[in-house]
Amino acid sequence: MKQFAALLRKDNQPVRYLVVDDSVFARKNLIKMIEMFGGEVAGEAGDGLTAIAEYNRSKPDIVLMDITMPQMEGIEAVERIVRQHADARIVMVSSVGYQENILAALQKGAKHFVQKPVKPEVLYEILRYVLSDDPAAAGAPVALAGEHRS
Amino acid sequence: MSRPPDDRSSELRALFFESAGELLQSLNEAGLELEARPADEEVIRRLRRAVHTLKGDSAACGFHKLSELAHELEDVLSPQVAQARGADLVELVLAAADCFGAMLTAYQRNAKLPSLDALRAMIRRLREEPGAVASPAEDTAHLPARFAWTEYEQLMISEAVHRGEPVYNIALRIDPNSLMRAAAFQLIRNVLHGSGTVIALRPEDNVAAATVDIVEAALASGQAEEKLLHHCRIPSIVSDVRIERVSAAQMPEHELLGDLLEAQAADLAVSAAGGAEIVGAAKPANPRSAAAAVAESTLRVDAARIDTVMNLVGELIIGKSMLNRTLTEFDQKHARDPVRAKLADAMAFQARILDELHKCVLKIRMVPVEQLFRRFPRVVRDVAKQCGKDVALEVSGQNTDLDKSILDSLAEPLMHLVRNAVDHGIEPADARLTVGKPARGTVYLNAYHQGTQVVIEVRDDGRGIDLALVRTRAVEKGILKADEAQRLSDQDALNLIFESGFTTASEITEVSGRGIGMDVVRTVMDRLKGTVQVSSQKGRGATFQLRAPLTLASIQTLLFRVGGRLFAVPLSSVVEITRITEVEIHKVDQREVLRLREQILTLVRLNHLSRLRSIESQPAKKKNFVIVIGAAEKRFGMVVDSLVGEEELVIKALPGEIVSTDLVSGASILGDGTVVLILNVPAILSRLARAIPLGAIA
Repeated sequence: MKQFAALLRKDNQPVRYLVVDDSVFARKNLIKMIEMFGGEVAGEAGDGLTAIAEYNRSKPDIVLMDITMPQMEGIEAVERIVRQHADARIVMVSSVGYQENILAALQKGAKHFVQKPVKPEVLYEILRYVLSDDPAAAGAPVALAGEHRS
Repeated sequence: MSRPPDDRSSELRALFFESAGELLQSLNEAGLELEARPADEEVIRRLRRAVHTLKGDSAACGFHKLSELAHELEDVLSPQVAQARGADLVELVLAAADCFGAMLTAYQRNAKLPSLDALRAMIRRLREEPGAVASPAEDTAHLPARFAWTEYEQLMISEAVHRGEPVYNIALRIDPNSLMRAAAFQLIRNVLHGSGTVIALRPEDNVAAATVDIVEAALASGQAEEKLLHHCRIPSIVSDVRIERVSAAQMPEHELLGDLLEAQAADLAVSAAGGAEIVGAAKPANPRSAAAAVAESTLRVDAARIDTVMNLVGELIIGKSMLNRTLTEFDQKHARDPVRAKLADAMAFQARILDELHKCVLKIRMVPVEQLFRRFPRVVRDVAKQCGKDVALEVSGQNTDLDKSILDSLAEPLMHLVRNAVDHGIEPADARLTVGKPARGTVYLNAYHQGTQVVIEVRDDGRGIDLALVRTRAVEKGILKADEAQRLSDQDALNLIFESGFTTASEITEVSGRGIGMDVVRTVMDRLKGTVQVSSQKGRGATFQLRAPLTLASIQTLLFRVGGRLFAVPLSSVVEITRITEVEIHKVDQREVLRLREQILTLVRLNHLSRLRSIESQPAKKKNFVIVIGAAEKRFGMVVDSLVGEEELVIKALPGEIVSTDLVSGASILGDGTVVLILNVPAILSRLARAIPLGAIA
């Protein structure tokens, strides 16, 4: 298995993630990767409504959001979260068939998207990019401890 | 020199000379820019590119001397040299442009080549300077991108640049592995919008993005280039990024043109070398493919071929009016025939298409006046330098279109006017300062459309034309008598400068003042059925207005009859038409005049004008038509027997041996075969203006 340099916040704390997916298996898979990247799971949700509640409770650094979910679709959840928290960093997770939805989510303010099945190295790069794209941090790469992934 | 006689190579040579001319032009332009901003690397790069292309092309055509010289020049064109010896480099570049020009002419005429020693010496002197040894490898990016922005977008870009906002041309390649292209494009868009103001974007929407590999954008952004690059490297979306800063000097249209020329030159080189050896022009990692695609959409055609098409269309228009007349006759004979309506429909249809065709052909001949204007920065610089003055040139209206042949004929008069403006118009710096003007004089070139005419203005903010001096000179030269000169209105006095042999310059300089020039301007404008007007304000400068028809090929005319003959005048010169009785005509100074409202109008009878006198004058009628004709400021009335109507005429030039008067500018054939003479309004006017009573001619 590949080794990844820990992705850390500016204050050298682990990055906190909210994982939103209606499939428990998919969530477990993502959480495994997050741990590989040195991150911390701040919360989990199986639908959009819960995701919003969880976001407000845990204020995560990153949201990994599935696009199709019961109760409230990912797009609407994105819209509501971004409306309340303009700086929210949401990465959509979806299979190729849902390009239209991804497009809509991007228009609503999602920062990036990743295709299912998620490959850890792809997700890592995306997270690194999204984390660095912080206006307050002035683009400084988030504490990358020098070494790259091997 | 070996010159295979076949068609292919002579065509190639023609193409070479044409594109080489354009390269010299860009060399001149870049040289001037370099003078303004000596260390601008972008300009140097452009210079190198032009010289490099010239080198390759000339070698391919077998002009080795030129190629060698270009090669030597290319070696010294480096940012280091520019930094160390900026002024010398500018002189060298301009001198080289002249020298290359002379060489090209010599090659074209198979004449002896001019001496190259002076230029070689200049190059050598620069080369001895340290720092010029290694020319830096061009850091051309590998991503094919055209940045072919629309005119509007270019305008926005150049505005932003002039406001001091950094603008970047960005090309991003969508990761070939990405399966969701539209989403990828949306994300790129988000990132771009998050990094600055997106001025232009290709493709423009998500739908088109599905089939596109490369996204191009023009972005105004305060962010550092490095940071932009980081933003644009979107993982899993973008596989390749190229960012170029747009500098003030390099406006995108020039950039595009440069690429185009380069692509063309490459084509030339390839075909010349038979594909075996590409002379210096092929840099494998260049944005060649995209540029070549642009080049393919432009076609170089021999102007004579377009003229042939134009003539044929002209014949068709005559054919149309023939048909129309036949239809009218048919109408009268068989008014109730159902075939009539069908015939009329078919003809209306045909007329519409013909009209469209005519417009299309006219458009082919139209070129922007920019092609002419672009040579003037160099002219102004050189003349100003010779006179020891500081003169800026401001150009506007470059995109105004006009007929290529008219454009070509305007080159000479315009050259005279601009040179004169710099040499005579603009005062020396100290004289300007004492009257409270900025030390630097300005010459303005402007072009615009007005009705069916194109107007080109040359304006300067110099001393203006000294009317007293003009009057004195006119008397001295024997153009006028002293008392006549005093009676002349200011405008008429001003017009004296167009008389042949006239100059106000107190001494003859190298630049102007040889007494030829202004009358050449007038002659050319007359030939073009155009006019030249001058206005001047003492101490504020002079303005020359050249007016020419947009196209020579066909004009709207008013047909009328005098003494049984059919004549036409350009409709554009008809001011109004009125009816008068004989009693309204008065005689003043042996001239017939008419009081029209508050104006006194000189009347002209065609049968009185010289060389047309064979026309029988009809017995005086009670009522006559008077066509009021105006050109420039002047007006006169033409007494005619009857009006026939408006008609679009295709002008056929008349050979000199058939018509010995300058009062007729051409002829045309109507649909029924009748020949119409088209009157030359400026010539009639100038005859009137000579203050000779018409009776004396008749």
